[in-house]
Amino acid sequence: MSIMEYNGGSVIAMVGKNCVAIASDLRLGVQSLGIASNFQKIFPVTDRIFVGLPGLATDVTTLHEQFRYRVNMYTIKEEREIEPETFAALVSSTLYERRFGPYFIEPVIAGMQRTPSGSYKPFIAATDLIGCLNFAKDFVVAGTASDKLFGVAEGLWEEDLGPEDLFETISQTMLNAVDRDTNSGWGVVVHLLTKDKVITRTLKGRMD
Amino acid sequence: MNSVYSGPGFDFANTARNSFLESRGLPLPKATSTGTTIVGCLFKDGIVLGADTRATTGPIVADKNCEKIHFIADNIRCCGAGTAADTEFSTALIASNIEMHALSTGRKPRVVTAMTMLKQMLFRYQGNIGAALVLGGVDADGPHLFTIHPHGSTDKLPYVTMGSGSLAAMAVFESGWKQNMTREEALDLVTAAVSAGIFNDLGSGSNVDACVITASHTEMLRNFVKPNERVQKERSYKFARGTTAWKKEDIRDLIITEDITVIREGEAMDIS
Amino acid sequence: MDISFALTGKGYVIVAADTTAAHSIIKVKLDEDKIKTLSPHLLMAYTGEPGDTVQFAEYIERNIRLYQIRNIYALRPPSAASWIRRSLADSLRSRKPYSVNLLLGGYDTSTHTPHLYWIDYLGTLASVPFAAHGYGSYFALSLLDRYHDPEASLEEGLATLRRCIDEVSKRLIVSPGKYKVKVVDKDGVRELDF
Repeated sequence: MSIMEYNGGSVIAMVGKNCVAIASDLRLGVQSLGIASNFQKIFPVTDRIFVGLPGLATDVTTLHEQFRYRVNMYTIKEEREIEPETFAALVSSTLYERRFGPYFIEPVIAGMQRTPSGSYKPFIAATDLIGCLNFAKDFVVAGTASDKLFGVAEGLWEEDLGPEDLFETISQTMLNAVDRDTNSGWGVVVHLLTKDKVITRTLKGRMD
Repeated sequence: MNSVYSGPGFDFANTARNSFLESRGLPLPKATSTGTTIVGCLFKDGIVLGADTRATTGPIVADKNCEKIHFIADNIRCCGAGTAADTEFSTALIASNIEMHALSTGRKPRVVTAMTMLKQMLFRYQGNIGAALVLGGVDADGPHLFTIHPHGSTDKLPYVTMGSGSLAAMAVFESGWKQNMTREEALDLVTAAVSAGIFNDLGSGSNVDACVITASHTEMLRNFVKPNERVQKERSYKFARGTTAWKKEDIRDLIITEDITVIREGEAMDIS
Repeated sequence: MDISFALTGKGYVIVAADTTAAHSIIKVKLDEDKIKTLSPHLLMAYTGEPGDTVQFAEYIERNIRLYQIRNIYALRPPSAASWIRRSLADSLRSRKPYSVNLLLGGYDTSTHTPHLYWIDYLGTLASVPFAAHGYGSYFALSLLDRYHDPEASLEEGLATLRRCIDEVSKRLIVSPGKYKVKVVDKDGVRELDF
């Protein structure tokens, strides 16, 4: 049992056509003992950015506070909201700063990036616990069910899914992957981002 | 609590806690590494660098198409193997220091300068920064090709390989390398060497990235060869809408609309 | 082995903790109060390493009191929980960390809602409808899953707590004899005869 598996939890983000989705489970445990089924691991950063922080639960809270602080400082200094790509760099350097004493978190970032023409394009990224960025064009996963999520997502994901189809794909990927993971589950929450809407849905799933 | 200003360098604040957790029998997790085949070879007019595009976490392929040829300067590039974050950040740091150096000297940066900066940094960290690099470029002294090991030792050779696929790639170089190759010959050899890694080493895979550096021009050939392209799926795996049951929904509209209802036509302002 | 339980109900939080102070295999005290009243509407049950527990609980108690003296109003439960969590997380990064697990029950007088937080020595914070620490959690959490009702009256809540305590007494080898039970609601904190 590694520290990364101590509290359990998984996150996935997927790209769709002019939309992105990010989903996580809601379990908080201490090894095999379940403590809470309402533990949020995904946090809003701006209106159009979400960050998922699966890993050691104490670091979920600490890093969330740290990111909130740094994003606030950025917003005040720059007098504008942070963009997903910039936020990914912020996450990466925050983690690499602690290269030799890391936080036990593997962040997943999902957002809608503003283009020079004023429209929005989907953006996802993930990093390992010391901040190595992974920009994928399809999906990124992290957490105790990451192996399973990789497999299911590889099979189910396809290009140019619209918001409602993407919702089905990410939800089914998440639900089926966490059902095969002992340390994840106990409810799933999905955030769906389009250019002008944020839809948050709590899924009906197995509670065992 | 953290202050507004945080100093340069690494932050060791978590180390005491982490070794405490480790002593409780929770082993520390591993970071993303690039199993990697990276190569470089000298030819008539310059340097060709090559790399695969697979990143791994243990036995899992974390990224199927990552970039391992990093920018150092217009005329210098660096391939990275080892701990992915370390190669990413140490090359980025040296790239920025090289730019500062070029700006202050007013000269085009030299490959040895980048090599010295990298090796001195890696030596200072005693191998704890796990970056194994292939550095290549063309400067005032001509083409140069180096390997830099995580502990800070360096080699200068006409053809080099690094990473877990280095043996497979080196076998190709040993049998096929000759002096004064043309650009095409060198590019083919590098492609063959990286491909040997991709197909024979589990830590390497996906595509071949290449970079040709000559005295006048640097050409980055991202995904130069894609021998493992995924074919179109036989069928669509879309779910019927409504497959997933959900309990709660919250929709937040990001477009702020404001309805202004004029209650009463106001009197004109008295401006007499 | 320390055991503590807590559960929310309609407008209240019940916090219970055993009253044994143990030294190795010896019970040295049978009426130890392990639930501190941090502010007029805030309770904290603490368990863990003997020594650390009292030291840390008093540190928290006095700082929460200091805040109230300075600002007239006491910290509301979510803010208090956040600050206490941070204190533990910072302690964990020090040379000798506190090994203390907490249950924080409070009543927010401005929103009229009960709050319950589960906090462990790593600085893990979870807002929950019911919680437990120690060996009791293995029995109590499943019972609470079955019988907990967020709309229950105080009497019903105490009956659920009774089930948990009885189960622990029945099945746990080293079960403690007595418990202290405190409740916090709109009228503040009070101890119940149980």
